[in-house]
Amino acid sequence: MALFTVWAVATLTFAMIRAMPGGPVERMVQEIATQNPAMSRREINAMVEQRLSIDPDETLTEAYISYMSGLARGDLGESTFYSDSVAEIIIQSLPWTAFVMSISILGMFILGIGLGALMAYKEGSTFDVGSSVVAIFLSSVPYYIAAIALIYVLALEWSVFPLSGRYARDVTPGFSLEFMASALYHATLPAASFIITAWGGFALGMRGNSIQVLGQDYIRVARLRGLSDRRIALRYVGRNAILPMWTSFLIIIGFMFGASIILEEIFSYRGIGFYMFDSIDRRDYPVMMGTFLVITVSVVISVLIADLTYGKIDPRVSEGGKDESY
Amino acid sequence: MSSQESTQRSKPASYTTPDPIVEIRDAEVYFEMDRGVSRVLDNVSVDIERNEILGVVGESGSGKSMLASAMLDAVVDPGILEGTITYRPDSETAIDVLSVSKDELRKLRWEEISMVFQGAMSSFNPTMKVGGHFEETLKAHDYDVGEGMERARELLADLYLQPERVLESFPHELSGGMQQRALIALSVVLEPNVLVMDEPTAALDLLMQRSILSLLETLKEKYELSIVFITHDLPLIAELADRLAVMYAFELVEIGPSEEILRDAAHPYTRSLLNSTPNLDAPLSEMKAIEGAAPDPVNVPDGCSYHPRCPLADEECVAEDPDWRPTFTDEHQVGCFHWDQAADAIPFNIDNQGGER
Repeated sequence: MALFTVWAVATLTFAMIRAMPGGPVERMVQEIATQNPAMSRREINAMVEQRLSIDPDETLTEAYISYMSGLARGDLGESTFYSDSVAEIIIQSLPWTAFVMSISILGMFILGIGLGALMAYKEGSTFDVGSSVVAIFLSSVPYYIAAIALIYVLALEWSVFPLSGRYARDVTPGFSLEFMASALYHATLPAASFIITAWGGFALGMRGNSIQVLGQDYIRVARLRGLSDRRIALRYVGRNAILPMWTSFLIIIGFMFGASIILEEIFSYRGIGFYMFDSIDRRDYPVMMGTFLVITVSVVISVLIADLTYGKIDPRVSEGGKDESY
Repeated sequence: MSSQESTQRSKPASYTTPDPIVEIRDAEVYFEMDRGVSRVLDNVSVDIERNEILGVVGESGSGKSMLASAMLDAVVDPGILEGTITYRPDSETAIDVLSVSKDELRKLRWEEISMVFQGAMSSFNPTMKVGGHFEETLKAHDYDVGEGMERARELLADLYLQPERVLESFPHELSGGMQQRALIALSVVLEPNVLVMDEPTAALDLLMQRSILSLLETLKEKYELSIVFITHDLPLIAELADRLAVMYAFELVEIGPSEEILRDAAHPYTRSLLNSTPNLDAPLSEMKAIEGAAPDPVNVPDGCSYHPRCPLADEECVAEDPDWRPTFTDEHQVGCFHWDQAADAIPFNIDNQGGER
């Protein structure tokens, strides 16, 4: 099923990318033609073919078959703009995207779950009402607006955070403390734009679930049994309230990969989204295909993980598969 | 509030027992709501004798569960509980349940006075094994876990469960009856002296109800428990309980030894309640519903709260709330002016109540 999804997406992407007006060939033919008006059409074609390793006269079917067979062998092709292979570009950029995403997810999880549970415990208080309003407001702000606002205030006006890049130019990449601090520093704003706009959804979800769990009889019984408030909050309320959020939590990873395209462009953060945006601009088919596939595969994998692990963390579900008790 | 102001609510202290383990005096629970004060437990005083089983009977919404919660000072927010509840672990010591510190209350609950709720299905944490509930309870009360789990296994075995299987199961893997029995075991694992059971058999089938009742008797003997058993099912509890207390409209209307109440119920309500109870032997035509509806807790009738539904009611009943008075014996008390006419006015529809077995 998961494999089929990947194949279907690859095919669709391939078709859609080829259907885009203009292509790398036209673009380059045009470029060469404007630079060397004297060249004949045949000479230009030969030159383009040599440079792009794409045969301009190849039919769509042939191109599809050659691409898919390459894909099956693990060959994503060569970039038509950069001199690197697509695989190389992905390996270079994916960890950076994953880095920003991990920070974002951790941040929105801690903030959302923590505040949501607190709001539920203080249901109806000023804190609860105030946080709900803020949470609803912030979740209705698109992340890219938050990103631009953050750049404007914190990077341009106050210069507290860097405007762009993955790490400071004078730092050499490696497992040094300096490099990691610099990377974290540069990732703060992109991650913050995600966290600020997404924690509200988590908090409101957690709040609702927690209020529901707090009304359950087993909470009352647990209190009468003299369990500590801490244990009730973690083992009873927390556990049972977070469970229903697990799936949406992993699915948001997929959403964030998609969002990284715009976000990384805003911050000129050279992650996978940045290269994808770039490749669309340059009609760089192989990079476009490759990055799109990586995003698709990540989404499929995270949904798959969500599905497979849910049964592990919720005892009621793992039974279902075995004896169809419901 | 105002409607209660005029009502006389003082009742003489003749409901005492010689060696009570819990004394409830003037217990009152009320909720302040937009449309008035909802008094869901109205001036209830009763003793629970050491090592007895007291059955508390009443229809739905008569305040039974509130009485149960009051004994552990566990009335749900925003309910307010007033009165005194005294727990006597032995004849000399007296603990005022409503004024002990938070820590002492935490110890008192479950260690001394424990409770089984209605709906065992929702009393366990669905994401935790049944055994985990036992362990955390023992730990929370600083009991020896190994020894406590030994006792838990014994208790489960006493209740005809396979200890290892039940402890290793998640709650949803057990049937309703098994969960109920596991919950009873959980409530007794800290060896309390008093066990309050609030409709513990409500969601179970008849067969399971019977078997749990007979298990309770064994349990009571073995662990020297005093049990308060709250139910709407009078015939069910009548065989098990030593004494019965009947509740109507958030107060007690009759109390006495079980056989006496079954044979010579003195309150018109108790008699009607017995008549309305379905019985397999009774033809459908002989089951009589009680006319009218139970009163609204915000607006309980003046005088005897049962007067709008009572065939014996006269001006006296409307004007004044009847005091407790002894009937055929001193232990059998009733809050009714006309108890001596009740038997003639409301005859039992079949003569099976006294001899029911």
